[in-house]
Amino acid sequence: MTAHEISEFLAPIRHEFPDQRSLILPALRFAQEEQGWLPQGAMAAVAEATGYSQAYVESVASFYDRLYTEPVGRRVISVCTTLSCMLRGSDELLAHVAANIGTDGEGTSADGMFTLQRAECLGACDRAPCLQVDSNDQQGPLTHDAADAIIGALRADGAPTRYDR
Amino acid sequence: MPQLNSVYRHREFQDLLTLSGYERAGGWNGLKATLEMTPDDALYAFHRSGLRGRGGAGFPMGRKASFLPVDSGKPTYVVCNADESEPGTFKDREILDKNPFQLIEGVAIASYGVGCERAYIYVRGEYGHQWDVLERAIAECRAAGHLGPDAFGPGAAFDITLYRGAGAYICGEETALLESLEGKRGQPRLKPPYPAVAGLYDCPTLINNVETLAALPPIMHRGADWYSAIGPEKSPGTKIFSVSGHVLKPGNYEIVMGETTLRDLIFNLAGGLRDGREFKACWPGGSSVPVLTAEHLDTPLDYESLASAGSFLGSGGCIVMDDSGCIVRASWRLAHFYRHESCGKCTPCREGTGWLEKILGRMVHGEGRLEDLAMLESLFGRISGRTLCALADGAVAPVQSALELFRDDFERVIEQGGSPVPEPMGVINA
Repeated sequence: MTAHEISEFLAPIRHEFPDQRSLILPALRFAQEEQGWLPQGAMAAVAEATGYSQAYVESVASFYDRLYTEPVGRRVISVCTTLSCMLRGSDELLAHVAANIGTDGEGTSADGMFTLQRAECLGACDRAPCLQVDSNDQQGPLTHDAADAIIGALRADGAPTRYDR
Repeated sequence: MPQLNSVYRHREFQDLLTLSGYERAGGWNGLKATLEMTPDDALYAFHRSGLRGRGGAGFPMGRKASFLPVDSGKPTYVVCNADESEPGTFKDREILDKNPFQLIEGVAIASYGVGCERAYIYVRGEYGHQWDVLERAIAECRAAGHLGPDAFGPGAAFDITLYRGAGAYICGEETALLESLEGKRGQPRLKPPYPAVAGLYDCPTLINNVETLAALPPIMHRGADWYSAIGPEKSPGTKIFSVSGHVLKPGNYEIVMGETTLRDLIFNLAGGLRDGREFKACWPGGSSVPVLTAEHLDTPLDYESLASAGSFLGSGGCIVMDDSGCIVRASWRLAHFYRHESCGKCTPCREGTGWLEKILGRMVHGEGRLEDLAMLESLFGRISGRTLCALADGAVAPVQSALELFRDDFERVIEQGGSPVPEPMGVINA
């Protein structure tokens, strides 16, 4: 993603923020849509488009869980493991998903298809145990079979055209 | 056991995801009534309604709005906190999912009252679906002129900007949210100054939770007196409780404050427990509040009654655990949450939440010692009340109360050499 593309994305919303620093987070999210994470080149492009240093941009990006500064799989699966989900079997769900995609707990599968992470409360405790694919709607309550079906459908889908994490 | 869907209008009317559907359900009547008043009268109506902040702190909304200086010479901002992340809380998600126009109308009403021309709604990063719903609703409002250059009358502009977080519980803390919205790391600010005086971009700012703002349209349409007459004098109105954990019908329930007990909420509305299980504990207001036991089940659900019982109404996220659960394991899981979400700015929180998790973890895994209980107790006062924001207090409250109320359980887990992993409740179709 180039600085020019990011500037074009920011152009229609610039006037909504009296301080242009507010554009950094939207710019980072937009830059992440291309590869699903933020390589150095993307950080540099955000810095150029917003007028802040790359060091500052990285300091912001590194604060937020859903901005990835390391490569992740084509799909990020977040299994909520906070209390309400734990009481309904989230730890077992996490282990089951890991076994399905072939990771040892959290991590990225060997084929680069999936990254599995345990998430803190996803705001869907009525659907416990639940998981979220990228930032799609939270899915649950999930049996292990239902989780397998979700993963199977994702395998069939292939890579998304843009990543919304 | 009165339920009253005032914020959850979508449970009474169909088709609230379209502007025309919302209009058929009485949408914009609250804003119309507001625009016929002076801004001062609108503020006075907020105040008289008795509405209190629904995000967790329960501060009177009208009073908060009245703190904004009128002569600062700077623009004034309204910020809606849609960073719902408190464990056990999913009430705002349903408003965003199913009744977005009522939130937009509420934001507009508050903005008229405090003289704001551009409001911001900060949506948690994980709420991608909810973001899409809200984005479509705002586009529809702009096309219809409800937002834009003449929103509040000819030449009286008002618009809303959506802003997306990126995964950080701390951004639900109001000053951390403002930092994040200004393009910074989401770390809380020293208060005072409070946001009312120096908030977003150092300007006077009213910041309120989704449920608080979505409560305004019916209040302004039906009148502050209508609202203040619902429920107890100090906690009027309706409140949405999210019930989760070991109940048969987890979900959101909007109830009249003070007229429903914790027992009614859990055992009637939320379907109660599985056969053969006994109630063990609940965290009634999200996870950042002291835990309650079976002794407290007859407590009415309002701010004062829950405080008298030793806990807080908080966000209304009621997490229920039956006797299959282990209070030590539950406390450890919550301690993990706060350790993970501590922003690291204040040492007592950054270090203290780590110690809480570590000590509870070794108890759960069979490496605890009886001296650990005294060590835990010595930590509480060194963490709580010593930080810029309430995250640290929230980390201590559930653990400290659990140790006070269930000390025998802690001792047994240590003596037995750990907390056995319980059979999870799993998926139940109630």
